[in-house]
Amino acid sequence: MDRSSEFFSTVESLRSRAQPHLPSDKRRLLSPMEQQAGSLGAGGAQNKPKSEVSLMATMIGKDIHATSKKLEKLARLAKRKTLFDDRPVEISELMHIIKLDIAKLNKQIAQLQSVVKELNAKSPHNCRQAMEHNCNVVVLLQSRLAAQTSTFKDVLELRTENMKATKDRREQFMFTAQQQSNTFASDSPLYNIDRRPNSSTNPPKDILSLDLPTPSQNLQQQEQVQLVDANNQYMESRSTAIESIESTLHELGGIFQQLAQMVSEQRDMVQRIDANTDDIESNVTGAQTELLKYYSYVSSNRWLMVKVFAVIISSAVTLSVLS
Amino acid sequence: MKIYAIYVVHNNIKPAKAIVDAKDLTSFGFFQRSSIGEFMTFMAQTIAEKTQPGQRQSIEESNYVGHVYARAEGVAGVVITDKEYPPRVAFSLLNKILDEFTTRFPNNQLWTPEQCSYPELQQYIVTYQDPKQGDTIMKVQRELDETKIILHKTIESVLERGEKMESLVERSDVLSSQSKMFYKTAKKQNACCIIC
Repeated sequence: MDRSSEFFSTVESLRSRAQPHLPSDKRRLLSPMEQQAGSLGAGGAQNKPKSEVSLMATMIGKDIHATSKKLEKLARLAKRKTLFDDRPVEISELMHIIKLDIAKLNKQIAQLQSVVKELNAKSPHNCRQAMEHNCNVVVLLQSRLAAQTSTFKDVLELRTENMKATKDRREQFMFTAQQQSNTFASDSPLYNIDRRPNSSTNPPKDILSLDLPTPSQNLQQQEQVQLVDANNQYMESRSTAIESIESTLHELGGIFQQLAQMVSEQRDMVQRIDANTDDIESNVTGAQTELLKYYSYVSSNRWLMVKVFAVIISSAVTLSVLS
Repeated sequence: MKIYAIYVVHNNIKPAKAIVDAKDLTSFGFFQRSSIGEFMTFMAQTIAEKTQPGQRQSIEESNYVGHVYARAEGVAGVVITDKEYPPRVAFSLLNKILDEFTTRFPNNQLWTPEQCSYPELQQYIVTYQDPKQGDTIMKVQRELDETKIILHKTIESVLERGEKMESLVERSDVLSSQSKMFYKTAKKQNACCIIC
């Protein structure tokens, strides 16, 4: 944790405690400083702007510290993944506050920077170290603010992801037919028109945007965004519903195709069965013919058999008679 | 999810005045109905006043939600529902009602409760009580889902058909080979030894 702000404030308090007449000196030096430009001694010129700069820097440091605490709290809130215990009102309020704080901090740092530049332009060249120190302080504060804004952006992204996840999970329990297929690229104007004004995917009643919150946003703009948002939500929900219809239709098409494919696979089997039954038919008719032939043979054969037997018996008789 | 009331409010004038309305308060006790009805009228008029033309809003209040859509002609439609009613359906209903209203009574002077009669509002409340019935998009979605279920069943039955086909194929194969044996035996019997 960066505690240079505390350091600044301790230094100030010690200084004021050790030399109680110094603040009055500084104040006295203040008014001549305002009237004339740089005609005071180097010490006097050094003391007053440095204290002002350090005062402003302390304040900014304190604000940054407070904002980072709020950011931590917001990050903790946004990390929760429970389905039902979500607290969107708190989270959006906190986000709003943090946005305002960051904007204010930016303004303050800009002010400080201008003061430092003024000071550097005015002061003589022998307090080079002081100039460098002031510039460094400003740069440090700016970098801390930039780090905070990037953390804020990360938290916002995490929050939108979590909200999307909870929305999906909630939809799983409520609307099982709904599926989002992004591969179904449609050229319908509904897609293009409705996608443009929305850069975020949120459930309704939440003011979120994924753009890095530039510190130069006004409150008025945010209000207008809120008003337009209600319309956008309606359009968005309509487009979501129609998207789901499109995806259902797409699925239906796929199912029909599958059906057709399965039936065509079974066509081969049907052909095999057909061929088999034809074979069976021919075999059986052939066998029947054979049997008929055999039967006719046998039935006609009996007469022949009688004749043959008669011949044999007669031959056997003649043989026995002869012998 | 229910709709409690539909109002068409003339919101160009201050205070805004309801032109036509339709209520369905059967879910409340008999003695509370009139007070709840008045409260709803008041709520509808207030939120219609506060809405800019061309703007849609959904405002929550105790257990009711008022969906309001203001048109540029100076009328606004308000639908008061409970919290679960999907706002999209409410807004599409409002679109429909306001279109009909403005085509039927385009003249501002006619906008008084006595001269405008819009009995279809009561009917709309009844049909839209179940949003899946009233809203076109939801109807289409529901039919598609039913079709999908039917198709699933069809595919299952086709799979069964496939299994039966398999068994048929096997049995016809077996039959075919058996009949072939039969034929051969018969033939053999015919051709073989005449003497024995």
